[in-house]
Amino acid sequence: MAGENWGMIVDVDKCIGCQACVVACQSENNIPINEEKHFNERRAIEWIRVERYWEGEFPDVKARFIPIMCQHCGDAPCEPVCPVFATYRNDEGLNVQIYNRCIGTRFCSNNCPYHVRFFNFWEPEWPESLHNQLNPDVTVRSRGIMEKCTFCIQRIRRTKRTASRAGADATDEEFERSLDPACVNACPTETLYFGDFNDPESKVSAMKEKESKRDGRAYTMLENLGTNPGVIYLKKIDKHAEDVAHG
Amino acid sequence: MIPGDFQLQRPSRKKLMLLVLLGGVGLAAFAGIVLVAIFIISAWFGRPVIFGFDEGPAQPIAFPHTRHVEDLGLDCTFCHRNVEKGAAATIPSVGLCMTCHITVGDGLAEVEKLRATFEAGQAIDWVRVHRVPDHVHFVHEAHINRFSGTKQIVDDLSTGPDQIRLVDARKIEPSARVGETIDVAASQVCTICHGNVGAMTTVSQVRPLKMNDCVDCHRDNAAPTDCTTCHY
Repeated sequence: MAGENWGMIVDVDKCIGCQACVVACQSENNIPINEEKHFNERRAIEWIRVERYWEGEFPDVKARFIPIMCQHCGDAPCEPVCPVFATYRNDEGLNVQIYNRCIGTRFCSNNCPYHVRFFNFWEPEWPESLHNQLNPDVTVRSRGIMEKCTFCIQRIRRTKRTASRAGADATDEEFERSLDPACVNACPTETLYFGDFNDPESKVSAMKEKESKRDGRAYTMLENLGTNPGVIYLKKIDKHAEDVAHG
Repeated sequence: MIPGDFQLQRPSRKKLMLLVLLGGVGLAAFAGIVLVAIFIISAWFGRPVIFGFDEGPAQPIAFPHTRHVEDLGLDCTFCHRNVEKGAAATIPSVGLCMTCHITVGDGLAEVEKLRATFEAGQAIDWVRVHRVPDHVHFVHEAHINRFSGTKQIVDDLSTGPDQIRLVDARKIEPSARVGETIDVAASQVCTICHGNVGAMTTVSQVRPLKMNDCVDCHRDNAAPTDCTTCHY
């Protein structure tokens, strides 16, 4: 069970901002429905969000998209501030949130530089017709606890079980679709890649090695904070980027 | 008598009676509090000590496990078909019951109830006996696979994949001894947590199934104890 270092590579160059990952995540992980008032109160819950930035002036305007989810930091700022150890880095390289331990201090959310931790200010509610669409493999978080992206740990667990039943390894290619988190599955342009950075033969390891070279595109978000994220971004390929002052 | 020495005044009879009365009331209140506390604590541990209600809940159809398991020798996996393949053991559909009961069991009141449900195209609203909280993801498959097969009986605290602890082996085979090997069928593994359901007329919970129960067993069997093994 132990020994992996699950991580993700986000190729920003491919992202078209379609929000399919957001929808997939919402339905996979029993995230309550965000209404307009929740956004107005800054209390909407989105484990993955696509941030949009406009660049340039009309008519020469470009939209830039970047999907942002929990970075699963190696040195996570959220972990040491939790008074009850409800969040910690487990031996699979995941920054996990234990719902039944959480007492809702919200320290972790305040200490997270990426704003990817969300607090349940209300008891989550779904319309009656949607009660049977809830994913039974994921806990429905009640009011007063923190939640965040888990890299769809329920899928990792399930794939490991399926793989061990077949006498195979969960990281084998045939289980790739089942191992990948919902956002990776849903992405139409293959922006997101998921895998084990500790496995030198995995696709993400190869990409990381290739893109970390001198002329590579790899970067991590807010690198100067030293959080050592488990999510690696590949920057956009843009011929005109050099012309723009902040490109 | 030394001057200034303290001398206890014998209280008046009236005062004495009052003290006795107050003491009695206090004692009764204390006993009441202790009783309630024990009741709450024992209920929390899942083993009511004083008010032992070991009987399981009444089911809509009084399904006799004894008849099916002890008398007919059916395996648990014959009806609970998903137990080796997934998280939930699953309760058989009415249709599965009817594969036999379309011909078997004429004139039995409970079988007639079953047939009526089948005719009406409805499901049976069984009362759930074993329930873990929503934030616990128990997977039957992993536990069945861990304990089924040929296992060597040991008395150690950390068992390997081909070993089984004596306490668990005793639940499957009461005469088990350390050092022997035991062939455990998938249907026998159920006994470790569910007790001998085959001998129960009404199914009841035999183990507390609280987190310490899970973690103790996980530690003893060298199973992962990371929180996210079950909580996610």
